[in-house]
Amino acid sequence: MTRQTLSRRSFLKSTARTAPASVLVLTLPMVLAACREAQQARLDGADFQVLSQEEAAEFDAISARIVPSDDTAGAREAGVIYFIDTVMREGRDREMQALRDGLREFQTQIALSFGAPYFHELNEAEQDTMLGQIEATPFFATVRMLTIAGLLSLPEYGGNRDFIGYQLIGYDSRAAWSAPYGFYDADYMERGE
Amino acid sequence: MAQAAISYPTRDEVDFVVVGSGASGGIVARELAAAGHSVVVLEQGPHLQAADFRHDEWAYDFNNELTWGTSKGNPQTFRKTENDVAELRETVCGYAHNVGGSSVHFSGNFWRFRPIDFMEASVRGRIPGTTFSDWPIRYEDLEPYYTRVDWEVGVSGLQGPWDPPRSREYPCPPMPVKGSDVLLERAAKQMGLTAYPAPVAILSQPHNGRPGCIHCGFCNGYGCEVDAKSSSMAAMIPQALASGNCELRTGCTVARVETDDGGRVNEVVYFDGDGVEQAQRTRAAVLCANGAETPRLLLLSESSRFPDGLANSSGKVGKNLMFNGSCSSSGLFEEPVNAWKSIPTTRVVHDYYELDPNLGFYGGGGIDGRHPSRGAPMLFGLLSGARTGTPSWGSEYKRNLAYQFSHIASFDGHTTSLPVESNNITLDPNYTDDFGRAAIRCTYMDHVDDLATMAWFLERTNELMEMAGATNIQGGYPENGQEGNVHLLGTCRMGDDPNESVVDATNRAHDVPNLFMVDGSSLVTGGRGQPTMTIMALAFRTADLINQAAQRNEI
Repeated sequence: MTRQTLSRRSFLKSTARTAPASVLVLTLPMVLAACREAQQARLDGADFQVLSQEEAAEFDAISARIVPSDDTAGAREAGVIYFIDTVMREGRDREMQALRDGLREFQTQIALSFGAPYFHELNEAEQDTMLGQIEATPFFATVRMLTIAGLLSLPEYGGNRDFIGYQLIGYDSRAAWSAPYGFYDADYMERGE
Repeated sequence: MAQAAISYPTRDEVDFVVVGSGASGGIVARELAAAGHSVVVLEQGPHLQAADFRHDEWAYDFNNELTWGTSKGNPQTFRKTENDVAELRETVCGYAHNVGGSSVHFSGNFWRFRPIDFMEASVRGRIPGTTFSDWPIRYEDLEPYYTRVDWEVGVSGLQGPWDPPRSREYPCPPMPVKGSDVLLERAAKQMGLTAYPAPVAILSQPHNGRPGCIHCGFCNGYGCEVDAKSSSMAAMIPQALASGNCELRTGCTVARVETDDGGRVNEVVYFDGDGVEQAQRTRAAVLCANGAETPRLLLLSESSRFPDGLANSSGKVGKNLMFNGSCSSSGLFEEPVNAWKSIPTTRVVHDYYELDPNLGFYGGGGIDGRHPSRGAPMLFGLLSGARTGTPSWGSEYKRNLAYQFSHIASFDGHTTSLPVESNNITLDPNYTDDFGRAAIRCTYMDHVDDLATMAWFLERTNELMEMAGATNIQGGYPENGQEGNVHLLGTCRMGDDPNESVVDATNRAHDVPNLFMVDGSSLVTGGRGQPTMTIMALAFRTADLINQAAQRNEI
């Protein structure tokens, strides 16, 4: 895996058309303030702050196909939609607008294929077909990034509820570890190499 | 710790202004202040400390909380050649804006340069199209200072079979080996190579009042939450402040270095945290701003006396930028490797430090074991769908992601870059920052030998992966040339000839007697991809020589 093709930088570059300067630029104090409210919103089951109910249903449905719920929990259980609602808060108008434009365009495509515009009302097979058609777009790349970020960021941002994302990949968020860390170094110690 | 809160009025002359508090600036400040000089350190960023750091990928990796780019008011542009118009990029020359600079979030790989690095041009001969040169100093000149870094900053390791001679053992034993490096070590052995403990600027046990590493895994890209990483922030700045002679001014962005009628530095102009222009009067200045910002500041400091920029009669300020090359192979293993725990790497293969000249190109480097996303979960999630032939979303993506995070390891090559004048830092004619300072414009295209070296190392890392028993091996290197890096080397190079270099063998500007530069910009060659140890050793040496010169009244 090369740094050049797979680095964060090139990821951002691939979505640069969605948000010209950069995707999702935030300042920490603003985000932390938003996080506190997001945590509260989780507890209250409150309304979304940025997303409309329709947008929330759509982005939730898209993220649920990117990381589906199958034999293990997925994006939906991890609360990815709350993460998106959190990080797209105040100051994110331009990026949010790009996402909204992308969604509207996507819904137009859906309407052409299925007669009705709502992604979340399609069945899973139909959803996957539609996503397959937009896989290479900055819109999809941005929703994918937000989905994965929401799955695997700190829960204080609204996603990764109960560390569902960390559990999925086998990451244990401890403050400290001691050797051996895995199979091969344990084996190395045992053999006295 | 109790900080002596000394404060110097800007209108009063201090002995030294140090620009930048990173790998070199922290050391220079501590050494000059400890010798009794009055020192003002100007740092752009905030004074974050251990308690401020968190395992927060969203903040650090994706929102550049430490490494400000264009969107945080630090615009940079990039072009491959001098014939192109440079484009605005989020980050090109990456570095951290905080006390301690990039030494706070670096990987802490602390290979010393070897004797050959200082005289390779005369051993190998000139290389057309490059300014490949010997250093004006030798390994022996720097060895005592490498040892001071080992002991005073804090390095863990074990003397390896081909390591350069050292006057004193490492203060801390090597870090416990990781599974990824067991795989590297076993594969290396099968190939007749030797993997040995990687020297790191991370404490394996308590040293100098700081604790040993707790192997949390959020290391490269993150600030250490317990001060076990030997950053300037953790190891040097507290001592500089405790001397009672050093004032650390944070949030201060330097605009110009001013000179008097005699051509000597007399004040450093900067914007304070409120954006108000200030000027600190000083008897001398030491620029430790890094290999992009130091040349930028010199170019910004042009005047009628220094029309091409301060200390730039040679025209070499900003030239000869070197990034170091890299390659990486990753593969999957049957059992959990868990390379996401602990520090980035614990073993290094140095058998290929100097490649055979008969290959037809110049190069060399080292190989170490890593986790391909530096152990960071979110970054891995974003990258893992990018493995060739695997979907980037859906059930199969999710299954792969779940399995691979703990079962993956990478072997990375770190390689040479040749100095080329057309690789450089200049002032961008079209973009400025919030203070009206011209943006950094980076022009860079890897030399053909550097690309050949990366390609050669990729073959070796792929072989090592295969030998280690990995499946689904994938690798690459920046074959179209790098478009940015965090190693910023060579842009105010040392040398004896004032026509070919910017600073002399003591890191004093050839053109300005009371101006010194020491950071990545000083390096004549870039080593094998781990420059900070050498930058820190040079900083100790420069400070030592400045203190000696000051005693003789020769600043």
